[in-house]
Amino acid sequence: MPFDKKRLDRVFNPKTVVVVGDKKAGNYSWLRSMQTVKGKLYSVQVSEDEIPGIQEMGVTNYTSLLDVPGPIDYVLLSVPRKVAPMVLADCVKAKVGGVSLFTSGFAETDDEGRALQKQIAAMAVDAGMPLIGPNCMGLFNPKAGVRHSVDQYHGESGPVAFLGQSGTHTIFFCTTLEAIHGIKLAKSVSFGNAAVMDVADYIEYFSQDPEVKVIGAYIEGVKEGRRLFEVLREVAPKIPVLIWKGGQTDSGARAASTHTGSLAGSQAIWDTVIRQTGAIPVNSLDEAVDTTAALLSLGPLRGVGGALMCMTGGQSVVISDTFAKEELQVPALTQASYDDLGSFFNVIGGFYRNPLDISWNSGSGQILTRILKILDGDDNVDFVALELFVSMVARRIKSGHNGDSSFFDAITDHARNAKKPFFTMLTPTSAEAEAIELRKTMTEAGVLAFPTFQRAAVAYRKALAYWQQAAQR
Amino acid sequence: MVMQETVALARKEGRTLLTEVEAKHILKEAGLNVVDSRLAKDKAEAQATAKELGYPVVLKILSPDIVHKSDVGGVKLGLQDESAVGAAYDEIMAAAKKASPEANIHGVSVQTMAKPGLEVILGITKDPQFGPVLMFGLGGILVEVLKDVAFRIVPLNKRDAGQIVREIKGYPLLEGYRGQEPANVEKLEEEILKLSAFVESHPEIKELDLNPVFAYKDGVTAVDARIVLEGEG
Repeated sequence: MPFDKKRLDRVFNPKTVVVVGDKKAGNYSWLRSMQTVKGKLYSVQVSEDEIPGIQEMGVTNYTSLLDVPGPIDYVLLSVPRKVAPMVLADCVKAKVGGVSLFTSGFAETDDEGRALQKQIAAMAVDAGMPLIGPNCMGLFNPKAGVRHSVDQYHGESGPVAFLGQSGTHTIFFCTTLEAIHGIKLAKSVSFGNAAVMDVADYIEYFSQDPEVKVIGAYIEGVKEGRRLFEVLREVAPKIPVLIWKGGQTDSGARAASTHTGSLAGSQAIWDTVIRQTGAIPVNSLDEAVDTTAALLSLGPLRGVGGALMCMTGGQSVVISDTFAKEELQVPALTQASYDDLGSFFNVIGGFYRNPLDISWNSGSGQILTRILKILDGDDNVDFVALELFVSMVARRIKSGHNGDSSFFDAITDHARNAKKPFFTMLTPTSAEAEAIELRKTMTEAGVLAFPTFQRAAVAYRKALAYWQQAAQR
Repeated sequence: MVMQETVALARKEGRTLLTEVEAKHILKEAGLNVVDSRLAKDKAEAQATAKELGYPVVLKILSPDIVHKSDVGGVKLGLQDESAVGAAYDEIMAAAKKASPEANIHGVSVQTMAKPGLEVILGITKDPQFGPVLMFGLGGILVEVLKDVAFRIVPLNKRDAGQIVREIKGYPLLEGYRGQEPANVEKLEEEILKLSAFVESHPEIKELDLNPVFAYKDGVTAVDARIVLEGEG
């Protein structure tokens, strides 16, 4: 369905939100999620058992949608499936901006559900009303305070949009991207069965948002494949689009059909669509958040050659292997760099051929700065990656390493001034709690910090492939 | 227009599979390189056509009911003279009637024996969600056993054509391996783009196979062709 951008803008930025059918049994989770809405929040609930709890939360309840003072911009419906057409008819009558239908039991369930889905889709199309779902968590816009879940932030927004056929993946993408990389979302949508609005509609809509620099998508199936192909072909060269396809195997496809009633389709064809349009394939939540961070933080990438600075000799071997397996390279440095490094680098218990084992040279910020500068200026090097042993680095940052915070300063200074893409990679080993803290410290200081070097290599490779393709278009 | 006439005829006869001769006429009209195949309804006509085309020739059973011609003994290669053509005709008819007694047999197709080149295949299938998809691969065991094929959604642009050819693992064979003559990759890409454009403008095509296509130093030519139409309604 061709969507109406202005109307969707209204739904994403509501001045009045109504939750229909929220329940004590669900701990009134919808009303609690929406209490951050900038504007008015109302409830519609007919059950006498549920109403007192709603009123206790300070939310005004009505027994009919038609009684709510309008105009209503966004309605979240959480009513039994049999009642859904009736309440949807009220939404049409009240001329609400748009509706998210949380209720499940439609095309993913049985013949009755399929018939009901057809019925509600036809109602929405006839009325020209955006219908999100059914079987979904609806919209998220932190600036407007519209949320899928109480676990999400509100107020500040970021440069990323996400669309997902799963509420879980949509919410976790949001919270994980923020937790791991300190990056917030501009908007997201969980759209379940996609009875009316489909993947291509949301991608097209997000691509027209000037705030959005990266779009992520979790897809189980698509109804209008041609349209998705055309939209991706148009959008992907301008804005990176990550596609995480669920239902890649027979088992996964079976699950997708019972989850969102989706026809998962052939994985070979999906791979082709992603490759041909210049979208970016990702296969997990981790890959999705890391690749998003690499795209946003590192800027356009130019090459495969990395200078790898590792904390021990053993690590330098396996990190090199890991990067090489991702089709990245660890090139020899120029003679000028070797001459320069040779003049001060302590080679007893370390080496600098690339990969570098900097263990005994990483004690002072001055030396680290010198090494980073040489690598940054080396013509054979496209990017610089620094491994951080969590236990060692965390201790150093905490204690200021004999009263010297220069190690940390050297990293943050370099991240600010480097000419070439620079990132850090944590090796947490057993210091998991400290790793979380260190990642946060790095992220807040503007340094991209991947949770592990394996994740760094995958994210860099995927981001690089995007930029290389975009450069050819 | 060959395409419209052929489709109309097939519809009238209630079939969706076009014969090799029909498929090749259509493709030739669309500007693709195919080895000419002519219909011969009986033995004498087969011999006369062979003489006209020049030896050696290939004879293939021509029936909309027989999809896998070589499986039923319906293909005879390298026929050098009139008597060989006559004998091949009899053998093909006997074999076809034995394997598929109910088949509606139009006769045989007679075509010049193409000089061997590097075998590649081009195919079109329809994905329920994304529509026509073009497949490219190297012929023989590389496609059958190793499934070394690449896909692109139709329509392809120039860049897609360049990439689909280079995406298969066997690509170095096209560049000429161990003294073998290289194939003309540019001509192959052109052929792929022509096929994509043809299929894009004919949604009535459900499946299409050019197998094999011979890729030479100076061009490419499809030796066999198969087209299946969408059912009516």
